Amino acid sequence: MRLVKNLFVGISAAALLTACGAGGNDQGTEYAPNMYHSVAYEPYSQIDDWEAGRWVTSIEYPKLDSVTEGHAEYYNSNNFNPHKMNMRDPAPNTVSRNKQGWLPYRLGKDSLAYAAATLKNPLDSTASVIADGKILYETYCDHCHGAKGNGDGKVAGGAEGEGIKVVVNGETKTRNTYNGIANLRSDALKGISEGHIFHVITQGKGLMWAHGSQISPEDRWKIAKYVKTLQK
Amino acid sequence: MSSDSRFALLVLKTDIEPHMIKNFTSACKFFILVFVFAFVSSTSSAQEISTDPAAIKAGEGIFNANCKSCHKVKEKLVGPALAGVDERAPSIDWIKSFIKNPPGMIASGDAYANNLYKDYKPTMMTAFSSLKDEDIMNVLAYVKAKEAEVPKDDVIKDPVPGGENTEAGGSDLLNLVAIGVVIVLLLLVVTLALLISSLKRFLDQKNLNEEEKEVVHSPITLKSALSSPAFIFIVAFLVAALGFKTVINNLFAIGVQQGYAPKQPIAFSHKIHAGDLEIDCKYCHVGVTKGKSATIPSVNICMNCHNQIKEGAQTGASQIKQITDAYANNEPIKWVRIHNLPDLAYFNHAQHVVVGGVECQTCHGPIQEMEVVKQHSLLTMGWCIDCHRKTDIDTTRNAEYYDKMLKIHAEKKGSKAPFKVEDIGGLECSKCHY
Repeated sequence: MRLVKNLFVGISAAALLTACGAGGNDQGTEYAPNMYHSVAYEPYSQIDDWEAGRWVTSIEYPKLDSVTEGHAEYYNSNNFNPHKMNMRDPAPNTVSRNKQGWLPYRLGKDSLAYAAATLKNPLDSTASVIADGKILYETYCDHCHGAKGNGDGKVAGGAEGEGIKVVVNGETKTRNTYNGIANLRSDALKGISEGHIFHVITQGKGLMWAHGSQISPEDRWKIAKYVKTLQK
Repeated sequence: MSSDSRFALLVLKTDIEPHMIKNFTSACKFFILVFVFAFVSSTSSAQEISTDPAAIKAGEGIFNANCKSCHKVKEKLVGPALAGVDERAPSIDWIKSFIKNPPGMIASGDAYANNLYKDYKPTMMTAFSSLKDEDIMNVLAYVKAKEAEVPKDDVIKDPVPGGENTEAGGSDLLNLVAIGVVIVLLLLVVTLALLISSLKRFLDQKNLNEEEKEVVHSPITLKSALSSPAFIFIVAFLVAALGFKTVINNLFAIGVQQGYAPKQPIAFSHKIHAGDLEIDCKYCHVGVTKGKSATIPSVNICMNCHNQIKEGAQTGASQIKQITDAYANNEPIKWVRIHNLPDLAYFNHAQHVVVGGVECQTCHGPIQEMEVVKQHSLLTMGWCIDCHRKTDIDTTRNAEYYDKMLKIHAEKKGSKAPFKVEDIGGLECSKCHY
């Protein structure tokens, strides 16, 4: 009988402990939680619940006003930003400069002709620049424009232009494809300048949206160099 | 009439047109020219849109290479739908000259061209001066053929090639193996039973006394089996072992979030985007090569595609609408963070992806197959250290820097000693804890 009792205790302990593991929506039990949560603002870890972690709070955070107590341990948001976001806008009237000291690109979307005629690629056509350009092209461009620039990437519907078939609840459906993807090797685009390519990546053209926020200016120039080699 | 002379007429026409509005006589000249032109057009057999399959095929190639990005046959895209263009436009020759030089046609004051431009301003059609007349005729043949095509909205019945079939094959094999094992076990039982009965028969043939007979023919009942010490021991041992294993496993799971797969505000599927469509991870997670955080894409990156794609094959419009709404209202989307390193440990994505050349999948698992992202790795210190001990350093990519280091390493540990991350300080406490 003692054996049965022991077994019962062991099994219930095990059952209790299963609540510690993570899975699905359950994050699991944290060990030493006040060492896990950052006091300083951390990217992508915003907790905007003022009372979160009150039970482990060991520091007296400054009072919000004369009545409201300081925030609890886990709270990690900027009260003064819209949506209490942690990130901050750059200081007003300042411009960012990159490693090369370049100023931000200022030509607007409608200045394509001017950009195409005047912008010069500051990078040389070295093998390493073109190799970098290839990697960047395969990251940012080829799912639409295709590996060879024929406008036949998977998002454009693939080489047949028919899109990708998927089975949803036993029914075959086609994934929607993005319209208006340029064939970079068409005769009309063969002659475009690197400045043209740079401007279109930055600001978009036709149905293509601006990609300036994703790709740094230097990388855009590298892609422009590589696209010119594709067009040969 | 050769195509060259028609072209000459066109040039003449363009030259005259700017004066047309102001000057009646020029207008007369123009009309005469147009008349001559029309006459030439009607007599020329090349103006007939061909129904020849070869021409349609050739036209399809040219259309896909040059026109597809802005035009569809039946729907408006960047430019107008091309169906019926041969009847709509002033003439076939007008189409030809417009395709070759749209800005010129507009500047020349051509009424139809200007009306067209007014509808699509500020988009100006690209000039396709390299297209020959017969190319354009082939494109028109293709457009005409496509126009007549009945839309096929029937569902494709073929099964999807790839994935599923191989999976089915794999589970078939597993079933076969299981059936085989069961058959072997059954055979074993039958053989043992036969063995016992033959042994009993053999003993029966000997002259046994009563006691011995009882032993040979003792009945094995369920009760006697259940109360035998061997059975109790086995059961108790199994239960205790299982319980012990569960306790240990769960104690180790404290503070480890492996398997965490929270429901996100939008049912975003990595399987669709990274798997089926082969969009590079870095297209959206742009920070991964630049800094500590891989970054969650801002809504404008989603909108690069979802400005157009508003309906998903799996979820319809409901999920994508949340993105477009967030974009329209300038509201952030509150994604749930899955991979949480404690604040006491520092981790940098760029260092691992750019310098170390580690693939995303090494730590995040088969993300391209996940409908809902789940934490694949342990993210414990032991897990980090294990990788730092096992991973070789690729010294070729920065040979200049590593050459000296390799020399010192060889002097200290011998020329054949492996050069792992731990050898460049991958196990130092203060690299991650400070």
